[in-house]
Amino acid sequence: MFDIYLPIAGMSVNLLVILGMGGGVGFLSGMFGVGGGFLMTPLLIFSGIPPAVAVATEANQIVASSVSGALAQWRRGNVDIKMGTILLLGGMAGAVFGVQLVKLLREVGQVDLMISLSYVTFLGIIGSLMLIESLRAIRRARAGNPIPARRPGQHNWIHGLPFKMRFKRSKLYISAIPPLLIGIFVGVLAAIMGVGGGFIMVPAMIYLLRVPTSVVVGTSLFQIIFVTALVTILHSATNQTVDVLLALVLMIGGVIGAQFGVRAGQKLKGEQLRALLAMMVLGVSLRLAFDLVVEPDELFSIGPAFGGNQ
Amino acid sequence: MSARGTLIALKAIAWIWAALTSSAALAAGEQIESDISSRNIAIESNFTGERIVIFGTIEKAKHAEFEISPYDIIVVIRGPEGPVVTRRKARVAGIWINRDSHTFKSVPGYYAVLATRDLKAVAKPDILNANGIGFQSLEFTTFGVQNNAALDAGLNAFRSAAVRIKQKDGLYLYDPKGVKFVGRSLFRATVDLPANVPVGAYATDVYLLRDGKVLSHNRSNLTIDKQGFERFVYSAAFDYPLLYGIIAVIIAVTAGLLASALSRRD
Repeated sequence: MFDIYLPIAGMSVNLLVILGMGGGVGFLSGMFGVGGGFLMTPLLIFSGIPPAVAVATEANQIVASSVSGALAQWRRGNVDIKMGTILLLGGMAGAVFGVQLVKLLREVGQVDLMISLSYVTFLGIIGSLMLIESLRAIRRARAGNPIPARRPGQHNWIHGLPFKMRFKRSKLYISAIPPLLIGIFVGVLAAIMGVGGGFIMVPAMIYLLRVPTSVVVGTSLFQIIFVTALVTILHSATNQTVDVLLALVLMIGGVIGAQFGVRAGQKLKGEQLRALLAMMVLGVSLRLAFDLVVEPDELFSIGPAFGGNQ
Repeated sequence: MSARGTLIALKAIAWIWAALTSSAALAAGEQIESDISSRNIAIESNFTGERIVIFGTIEKAKHAEFEISPYDIIVVIRGPEGPVVTRRKARVAGIWINRDSHTFKSVPGYYAVLATRDLKAVAKPDILNANGIGFQSLEFTTFGVQNNAALDAGLNAFRSAAVRIKQKDGLYLYDPKGVKFVGRSLFRATVDLPANVPVGAYATDVYLLRDGKVLSHNRSNLTIDKQGFERFVYSAAFDYPLLYGIIAVIIAVTAGLLASALSRRD
């Protein structure tokens, strides 16, 4: 009835299911203020979309969600263009490397493994950290103690690095090397995991670079737009794995879901929200880890041959 | 005239003789005529697979009894061939990863065999293999020379795995009761092509057998292709991949701007 054939994935899916997935993840990203790529890509893989197509198509969807997110932040003046540009330079280099890595691993049949391993590792780490942090916050809130404010002006090893630059909007005078490295790392993740990488970039900017919290989200969204756009173009040119039809359905679902998510998020408490999100992130990570560890029913798999001469 | 020229002349005479005698034999014996319900299948955005019917009749059928037919019909549908990699997982450091792999040169993307009864009962394996009937007749040749018995035995696991997975995906099919007689000489076979059916040129071969011998053979062609929007998107992605990527980004940016304009109005 509502079946729709995806031209690049080469399969028929139920339109309502994909819309629902886009809407559900959009709702969560609106509620928690996260990109949602780290939930969407595994969901697409679980529903049978080839992992390489899931990653590239999700990068395409994130372009849309980060454009609308970044615009909202931009209007409030929360984007540090200079910092964002340095992050972006690194991100572009990382994206180019990541897409080539995907191409290489696709040819030797290890791309699914790498995508799973990346997800298990990063979702496992981030999920655990978030869960610990939010449980502490809940306990503190119950005890009635206020959350201690971050002390600005602390110096760490980053301040000893060369190539210092002044970032006016972030009120920082630091080396360009750390943001460049963070950008590269996030760019690689964007290309191989189909994520914006906000879940790495935001904590890295807060805890390592000491960027004021107010500009962190806007600046990271600014970088994500361009990196995921580049990832989309590179994946399309190199691997032909971007399914625009799938991306479009996900975008529509995501936009609608996010609208409701933002409203729902305003009514819930921050710590409980974060604990809930942390448990979901851990759940996805465990599910992927389970699939890697347990002996599969079918040890064999088939796929198209690349190059052909081996 | 050289020895070579003589040989060619002899071959030509032999060929003409063979052609004359066989057509004479065919003219005398039973013949099969068949067709497919649709010769072009379009994959459009609402494509969820398609049912095709292969039907036909036995000309000059020679049997008195109405109920029991002495004839056997085998229908073979073969999709476009291409190289396929088969990989086997093994446990490495606690996790299951792809280890060994073999690339088979030309494997049909779709392959269905339907018959009036079990193939084993219809004809001997050499007859079936010579006509490319049945999974065992598929030639899974690898790249490079392979005359090593031990290596060949190892390859068998990969061959049967490829067939098993294709069967699970609905792309390989064997139905020993798939061909039904309707009356004395009319027959039909129904096949449900799945949504993941590969695009390309298909050949449908219908064989008429009696007492384990092929009496007649008839081929019809079938084309499966993406059409309309699906074709447009697919060919854009593979023919102009860079432009496709840029357009995908433009669509996403437009969607993002639209979403933000909509949410602002609230």
